[in-house]
Amino acid sequence: MKKRKKIILALIIFIALLWICSAGIQIVARNVKGAINERSRVFASVSSEPEKTIDLLVAGDSESYTSISPMDLWNQTGIAAYDCGQPAQRIQETYYVLKTAFQKQSPKLVLLETNTMFRNPGFLTNLQLSLTEPLNYHFPIFRYHNAWKALFDGPGGLKSGYMGFEIRDKTVSYEGDENYMKETKDKTEIPEVTRIYMDKIRNLCRKNGADLLLFSAPSPVNYNYKKYNALKEYAEEADLPYVDLNLRYRDIGIDWKKDSYDKGDHLNIDGARKVTEFMAKYLTDNYQLPDRREDGRWKEWNELAESYFKELEQCVIL
Amino acid sequence: MAYQSLVYGFVFLPLCLLVYQIAPQKWRRRVLLAFSYLFFWLLSGKLIVYLLGTTVFVHCIGIWLEWLRSEQKTALASAERCEKKRIKGIYQKKSRRVLAFGVLLLIGILAYLKYYNFFAGNLNGIFGSALPFTLEEKNILMPVGISFYTLQAIGYLADVYWGKIRAEEKLENTALFLAFFPQIMEGPICRYSDTAGTLYSGKSLEIDNLTEGYIRIFWGLFKKKVIADRLAIGVDAIFGNYTSYSGAMTVFAAAAYTVQLYMEFSGCMDIIIGSGQLFGVKLPENFRQPFAAQSAAEFWRRWHITLGTWFKTYIFYPVSMSGPVKKWNQYGRKHFGKYITMLGTSAMALFPVWLCNGLWHGARWSYIFYGMYYFTLILLGIAAEPLRDRVLELLHIGEKSAGLKVVRIAKTWLIIFTGELFFRADGLRAGIYMFRSIFRNFDLNSLFDGRLLELGMSRADLIAIAAGCVVVAIVGAVKERGVHVREALGRKPVFIRWSIYYALLLAVIVIAAYGDGYQAVDMIYAGF
Amino acid sequence: MEKLMEILMEIDDSIDYEKEKALIDDRLLDSFGVITLVSELEDAFDIDIEASEMTPDNFNSAESIYNMVKRLQEN
Repeated sequence: MKKRKKIILALIIFIALLWICSAGIQIVARNVKGAINERSRVFASVSSEPEKTIDLLVAGDSESYTSISPMDLWNQTGIAAYDCGQPAQRIQETYYVLKTAFQKQSPKLVLLETNTMFRNPGFLTNLQLSLTEPLNYHFPIFRYHNAWKALFDGPGGLKSGYMGFEIRDKTVSYEGDENYMKETKDKTEIPEVTRIYMDKIRNLCRKNGADLLLFSAPSPVNYNYKKYNALKEYAEEADLPYVDLNLRYRDIGIDWKKDSYDKGDHLNIDGARKVTEFMAKYLTDNYQLPDRREDGRWKEWNELAESYFKELEQCVIL
Repeated sequence: MAYQSLVYGFVFLPLCLLVYQIAPQKWRRRVLLAFSYLFFWLLSGKLIVYLLGTTVFVHCIGIWLEWLRSEQKTALASAERCEKKRIKGIYQKKSRRVLAFGVLLLIGILAYLKYYNFFAGNLNGIFGSALPFTLEEKNILMPVGISFYTLQAIGYLADVYWGKIRAEEKLENTALFLAFFPQIMEGPICRYSDTAGTLYSGKSLEIDNLTEGYIRIFWGLFKKKVIADRLAIGVDAIFGNYTSYSGAMTVFAAAAYTVQLYMEFSGCMDIIIGSGQLFGVKLPENFRQPFAAQSAAEFWRRWHITLGTWFKTYIFYPVSMSGPVKKWNQYGRKHFGKYITMLGTSAMALFPVWLCNGLWHGARWSYIFYGMYYFTLILLGIAAEPLRDRVLELLHIGEKSAGLKVVRIAKTWLIIFTGELFFRADGLRAGIYMFRSIFRNFDLNSLFDGRLLELGMSRADLIAIAAGCVVVAIVGAVKERGVHVREALGRKPVFIRWSIYYALLLAVIVIAAYGDGYQAVDMIYAGF
Repeated sequence: MEKLMEILMEIDDSIDYEKEKALIDDRLLDSFGVITLVSELEDAFDIDIEASEMTPDNFNSAESIYNMVKRLQEN
C-alpha cells in the first residue's frame, strides 16, 4: 500500500512538472516570433493574436488557406478573418486548432473547408491522433517542444504572414478535364472519424456562439461530384449550410490555365483573390459580420493590409 | 504499431496490463497470447496464418520428438545390454529424420518468402534465355517477425531433439513462446529455457517491475527518438545520393549509420525488455557495450547477442562436431600440425555461420558480402594470433596495457564502420563506390564548412545527437565497469533517483525528434 | 582423470586446471580449444559427444569435463 501511494505521488509530481513546462512554453510560443515552426506554427500564431479581434476563423487543410485571403476580405468588407488551416490537416487537428483559437477569440463564424473531412489515415493513426491532439492541447509542451531548437538554429524562416495567408504567385496550369464535376448519384464515403469530430466541432461552435459554414474550395484534383453528393447529404443531416465552389468556378471566374498553383491541386494568389471576392459577397449577403475597418483596435489590420497590397504590386503575376 | 509509438506504450501496454491483472492467474497466459495475436494482426493482418500454421506445426513436431524419446526409453528398459546400442541407433535415426523434416519445412517457408525473388532474379539474370523457363518474380508479402520466430522455432525443436528441454504439451504455451508481442518484431531471439518459466507463470504485476520496466522503456525511447531518428535524416540523405559526397562525408555517414543502428536497435531492445519486465518476464539482453569490443569477434559477442548465440548453438557447434570436421581435425593434426588444423576447422565451422548471418538479414548481395566480410576478418584474426603474440612479446607490450586497448578498440571501430557502410549502402555496387570515394576525394574540410548542415539536420539536431551520445556513452562506460545501473540508482536517495528519472522523461518529451518537421522512422530490424 | 589432464595440458599448458572453475565463462578455452578437446576426448574415452553437450557447465572445469565423460561412458 505504501508503495502504491509513492507511485501516485510520483505521477502527480510528473503531471505537475509537465504543467509547469507547458505554462512556460506557452509564454514562449505567444511572445517569441519564429520559435514555433512548421505544422504547429498556426497554433502559436493564432493564440498570439490580441483577445477578441477575430470574427471569422477559416479552418481545414491546405485547400483552406490557399483559397481565402483575409486581407482581401478585410479590404472589401472589413471582416476580421484568420486562416488557421494546416497542410494536410486531420479532422482531430481541425477540432483542436479551433479549440485553441476559441481560448482567446470569440468569432461569429467558422468557415470550414471540407477536403479535410475525407482524410482517413487508418485506424491506428486515427487512434494516435485522438490521443496526441488532446495531449498537445492540454500540455502544450508536447506540441511546442521543438521550440528549444530556435536557441541554436535561430528563428524559423518566417514568411510574412497575412493572418495565416501567404502570397503564392507561381502558376502551373491545370491541363485536365475542365468538366470534372460530372453529375452522378454515387457518393464518397465520409469516414466515421470525421463524423465523430464534426459533432465535436459543431458542439464547440454552438457553445461559443459561432455559426459553422462548410465550403469546398475549387480544386479539380481534390473534388468531384461524388464528394459533392456526400457533403450535400452530410450538410442536410447535420443541418449545416454548405457552399460548393467547384460547381460554380466559372461564375467565380476561375481560369484553370492561370489561377492554379500546382496543376489544379491548389489555387495561386489570383485564384484565391477571386474566391475571396466571391465569398465576401456570400458572407455579407448571409451573415451579419461586423465591419471593423474604422475601429481603432484593428489599426494594425489596416497596416497589414497596406503591406499586403504593396507586396502584391511587386508580384510578377499581376 | 511500432514499439516506439505512443499507441503501443500508452494504450496497448496499459490495456494489456490491466486485463492481465484482472484475469485469474490461470488465464493470464491466454491474455498475453490474445494480445500478442491482436498485435500481430494489427501489423500483418491476414498474414497471421503463417504464424498460426508455424505454431501448430512446431508444436506437433515437438510432441512427436518427445514421443520418440519415451518410446526409446521403454524399448531400452526391456532390452538386453547388447541390444541397447542398436535400439538407440534406430531411434536416433528416426528422431533425426523428424527433426530434419521440421527444420527443413520451417526454413523452406522462410526461404520461399524471403529469398524466392532474389533467387529467381539472379537465376534469370545469369542464365538469361538459356533456360527453357523463366522464374517470374512475385509480389510476396512477408509476415512481420518471421525471421525471428522461425529461428526460435528451430531452436526449440533442436533443444527438444537434444533432450535439453521437454516438449511443451499445451499448444497455447508453444503459441505464446513464439508470438509474445514485445519480442515478435525484433527479437531478442529467445530460447525456450530463457523465457518459458516467467512467461507462463501468470504472476501478479509488481510495482517495482512496473516502474523499472517503464523507466527502461523511456531509456529506449531516448536512444531511438533523441539520437537515432535524427541521425536517420542525415544518413538517408548521404546514402540516398552517395555520388555527390566527399570521402570525409562518406566516413561520417558510415559512422553515423553505425551509431544510428546501435541507438535504434538497442533502444528498441530497451523498450522490448522493459515491456517484458512489466509482466515480470525476463527477456535475454541483446547488447553489451559493443563499442568497447577489442576485436571483430568480440564485437559480435556484444552486438545482437541472441542472434550470435543462436548461430553458435545451432550452426557453429553442430558443424564443428560433425563427422567431416572431426575427421579433418584428427587427420590434420597428424599431418599438418596444430596451426593449420585449427585454421581449417575454424574456416569450416565459421563459413556457414557467417553465410547465414549475411543471408538472415535479407536477400541481397550486399548482405552476403557483409557476412563474408566478417568471416574473412575473424578468420584473419585467428590466423594472425601467433604472429601478434610474438610481436607484442618482442615489443614488451603487456596484454593489458591501456595503449594497446585503445589501438585495438580503434581498429575494431574501423572494422565495424566499414562493415556497416556496405550493410547500409544501396546495393553492393553502391557500397564499393562509397568505399572507394574515401580514398579518391577525402576533402576533410567538407565536414566543417557547413555542408553537414545541408543534410536536413540543423545545428540543434547535431547538438542533440552529440549530447545524447555522451549520455549513452557515460552510462555504457559505467556498465562496462561492472556496475548494475538500475541497482546502483536504487541505492541512491529517493530524491536523487527520481530527479534522474524525471530528467529522463522530460528529456524524451522535449528533445525527442517528433512533431514539427520530423517523420516517424520505422524500426530497421523489423525489416529483416 | 590423469588421462584427461594430459589431454588438457596438451591443448594449453599455461592454464592451472586444478584451480580454474570458469574455463569457458572467463574465455580461457576458446571455441576451437573446446572442439579440439572434444575430438581428443572422443578418441581417448571412446565416447560420442553431441553438439547438445556444448554448454559452459560441461566445460567450465576439469572436474565438470570429467563428470561429463563418465556420464557418457555409462550410457
